[in-house]
Formats: sequence, structure tokens, C-alpha cells
Amino acid sequence: MTIQDSPAAATTHVMQVRGMSMSYGTGAAFNPILQDLDLDVVAGEFVSIVGPSGVGKTTLLRCLSGLLTPQAGTITVSGDEVHGPHPDLAVVFQDYSRSLMPWMTTRENVAFPLQGKGLGKAERNALADENLAAVGLAGQGDKYPWEMSGGMQQRVAIARALAYQAKVLLMDEPFASVDAQTRFDLEDLVLKLQHELGVTILLVTHDIDEALYLADKVVVIAEKPATVVDVIETGFGEDRDQLATKADPRFAEARARIMHRLKKD
Amino acid sequence: MNPTLSRPAWLLLARLGAVALILALWQTVVSAGLLPSMVPGIADVASAIVTSLSNPLFWGALGRTLLAALAGWMIATVVGVVLGLLIGSIRFLDRSTSILIDFGRSFPVLALMPVVIMLLGSTTTMEIVVVALSALWPVLVQTIYGARRQEAAVADTVAVFRIPAGLRFRRVLLPGAMPFIATGVRISSAISILVAVGVEVISQAPGIGRQITLMQQNQQWDVAFAYLFFTGLVGWGIAVGLQKIEDKLLTWKRQMND
Repeated sequence: MTIQDSPAAATTHVMQVRGMSMSYGTGAAFNPILQDLDLDVVAGEFVSIVGPSGVGKTTLLRCLSGLLTPQAGTITVSGDEVHGPHPDLAVVFQDYSRSLMPWMTTRENVAFPLQGKGLGKAERNALADENLAAVGLAGQGDKYPWEMSGGMQQRVAIARALAYQAKVLLMDEPFASVDAQTRFDLEDLVLKLQHELGVTILLVTHDIDEALYLADKVVVIAEKPATVVDVIETGFGEDRDQLATKADPRFAEARARIMHRLKKD
Repeated sequence: MNPTLSRPAWLLLARLGAVALILALWQTVVSAGLLPSMVPGIADVASAIVTSLSNPLFWGALGRTLLAALAGWMIATVVGVVLGLLIGSIRFLDRSTSILIDFGRSFPVLALMPVVIMLLGSTTTMEIVVVALSALWPVLVQTIYGARRQEAAVADTVAVFRIPAGLRFRRVLLPGAMPFIATGVRISSAISILVAVGVEVISQAPGIGRQITLMQQNQQWDVAFAYLFFTGLVGWGIAVGLQKIEDKLLTWKRQMND
């Protein structure tokens, strides 16, 4: 499976995956999850990876983030071959309530990875407050995560990833466990942040509408073991609206194409 | 329940009532002559308690015992927490030490005292060593439990953001295991005082335990009982204080459970 890129962007790949395969178990318990998967992410791009539940999306994301080492193939980030978590990558996990440390205030949570990078305290806190403000949580740095709603906690997790100043944000079904309205708000927040900060985002989701609404490029994965079955350039541009964009005929067309792809399996 | 009394006031009254009941029972048994005549009545013990308050010898002995208990307890806490976090977070260490730890925690350290006395003499150092060896296990075992139970999402977060080992140890493993550590530390505090007094009774190392034995030998049973009362009071005070500190430090834990 190959992915066609626009020729102009070919030199600015921030992430490239070639021939990645991953399986669990051996012998009778051998369970292939991903097979010969290719992926290209251009700097500044919003890429959605969409696939049905259980297809291996989480395994894919764990491989991309360096938490798992694939058995075959290569992953390069900013030109380096990845053999573990890369400093240019940050992850927003689905399970926000557990990935934030309950014993730290939101400011401390956001600033914590920066301490690992060796930044001084004043600088860490300034960056934390700045990014908390960017996600709409200005002045909430002294609160603890458990004093906040699920949507607000996920904003803190996004602020933490932004403050880390990674080039690529990996998001693992980040809005799967919040209510619909909060989800729309968070989607629009992520779009806004992406345009303002020029960060590259790779979002994994099972929700076709979400994948299409957010992305410049939707990568459809399916089959068992999972592989890329389609790549769609959405072409909606920068101005998106939960109602207007989803009412766009191209949206319906792309949606039908993805559903068709997923149904065939 | 009495409607004119608030809940805490009612509880306090009930607790005082329980104490009064026990004291009344004691006095009745002593007055009826059911116990050997050397057991003092409440009035004798109460007056001995008051006299002890102005006895510098008593305060000196109690101070020595508390210092030894505190020193042993602090050694046990530091060693137990550091070792426990290492063992609990490194699977290889956890597996290879489990038999050793199960053996150690059930080993009666007091039975080892003759050896320790032979090595170190009837000194405060010996007392601190025995206290530390006894108080280590609850802290160690609880810390291992706490470190083992680290959330997978937290481990992933630490890995993705490339948190260095030292920082992870201090700001993730330690606070994550803190609810368990706190329990271990509280149990150890009680053990420390009990063992310190016990060691003094057995080895005649200086301290309140030795004073209790001396008073018994002098037939001053009321004073011996007064000293016992103070020892219990101190242990109780420490337990209450630790619980207060724990409540403050672990607000997040309580909130998460609600």
C-alpha cells in the first residue's frame, strides 16, 4: 500500500513509516496486528487515521510513539529512525484521567515534562501558564485535575503536549470519553491550535465524521492484519464549521467512500 | 441519639463513656480483691501519674526512649521507602527478593536480641538497630505494594515525555505509592515505640522500659503503671498526628476515591 503525496511537500516529511509490521504471540497464539504499513506525514499537516474498533489502532499509535518496537519496518521522525520515544513527539492519551498525575496541580502536570528537559522553574511555569491559557484554562493552574470536568482534564493533557514543544502531536481517540458538545468544543480547539501554532497532528479515531472534519488527510486502515486501504485528501481548507463543513457535499462523498472501504472487509 | 447534642459531641461523650467503663471495671476488680494485691487502684495510679509529671528522671528516661524509637523509625522509613520503590518498580528485583522479604517480615527480631547485645552491648545504638530492623518491614512491604500498582497510563506518559529516572522516582513513583507508604509508616511508628520499650525491659538499656522494670522491682507498682500509661499516651499521640499529616498530604487520593 502506498500513499501519494503532493510533489511540493515530498521534502518536508516530519514522519515516515515504511513497511511496518507488528504481531503478538508466537506459534499457535500468533496474532498479526499490523502488516506492511506505510504512512507519510508532512509538517503542519493534520492527519487522521480511521479504522474500526479492534483493528489495531492503539498498537499502531504505540508503535508510532516509540512505546512499542515494531517487528519489521522503519519509523523516522524528523529524519531520525525511531527506537523509543522521540523528543519531537508528544502524545495525548485517551485515558486523560489516568495520564494526568492526581498529586500534581494542572500547572505542575503541564510543566513536569519540561523539568525532564532541564528547563528552569520560572521558565517551566511560564510555559505551563501560557499553554494552559492557549487551551482556555487561563488562571486554573492551581487546580488539581480531579477538581475539573473530563473535557477540562483533556484540555490540560493537550496543554502538556503543546508545552513540550513537540513537532508532532499524536492523539489516541482523545475525545472518545467526553460528551458530544464537549467533543465538538475540543475538536474546534484542536483545529484552532493547529492553525495558530503550525503543529503537526496525527489523530487516531474510530469516528469517521471526526476524522474527516479535522483532517487534511484521512488514512483508512482495515483488514486483519491491519494495513492502509485508502488515503483521502479532504481539501476543506482552514475555515471549518461543525455544521457547514459536515453539510459540504465533499464531506458526504468522502464519508461514503470511507464507509464503503470499511464495509468491504 | 440525643437530639440536643451535635454528632461530634455525642461521639466524644460515647468515647469518654467507654474509657470510664473500663476504669470502673478495673477499680471494681481491684477493690473486690480478685487480682493480686500488687495491682494498684485507679487513685494510686492517678497520683503516680501526677507525681511523675514533676520527676526529671522520668522525663529523661521517656526522652531517651522516644529518641531511640524516633531514630530507628526514621532509619526504617528512609531505607524501607528507597528499597521498596526500587524493588516494586523493577520486576526482576521484585521477583528475586520476594522470598527474602516474606521471611524477613515474619522473623521475630526480638529473638535476635542476645546476638545484637553481644555485638553492640546494652546501648542506645543497639536499641536503635533493633527498632530499625523491626520497623523496616511494614514500610518496605507497603512501599513495594504501592510501587507495583503504578497505572499503565502513568507509565506510558512518563515514557513518552522521556522523564529521567531520578525525576520519575521522586515525582511519580514516590507520590503514587504514598497512600501505601503512609500506612506502612504509621504501623512502623507504633512498632518503634513498642520495640524500644521492649528492648529496654529485656536488655536494661537506659530508658522508660528500664524505669518500668526498676519500679516493679521496687514494688512501686503504681509508678510502673503510670509509666506504662505515658508510653501508651505517646504512641497514641503519634498515631493521631501521623493520621492528620496523612490526611493533608493525600487529599488527592481521598478526592479520587469519592
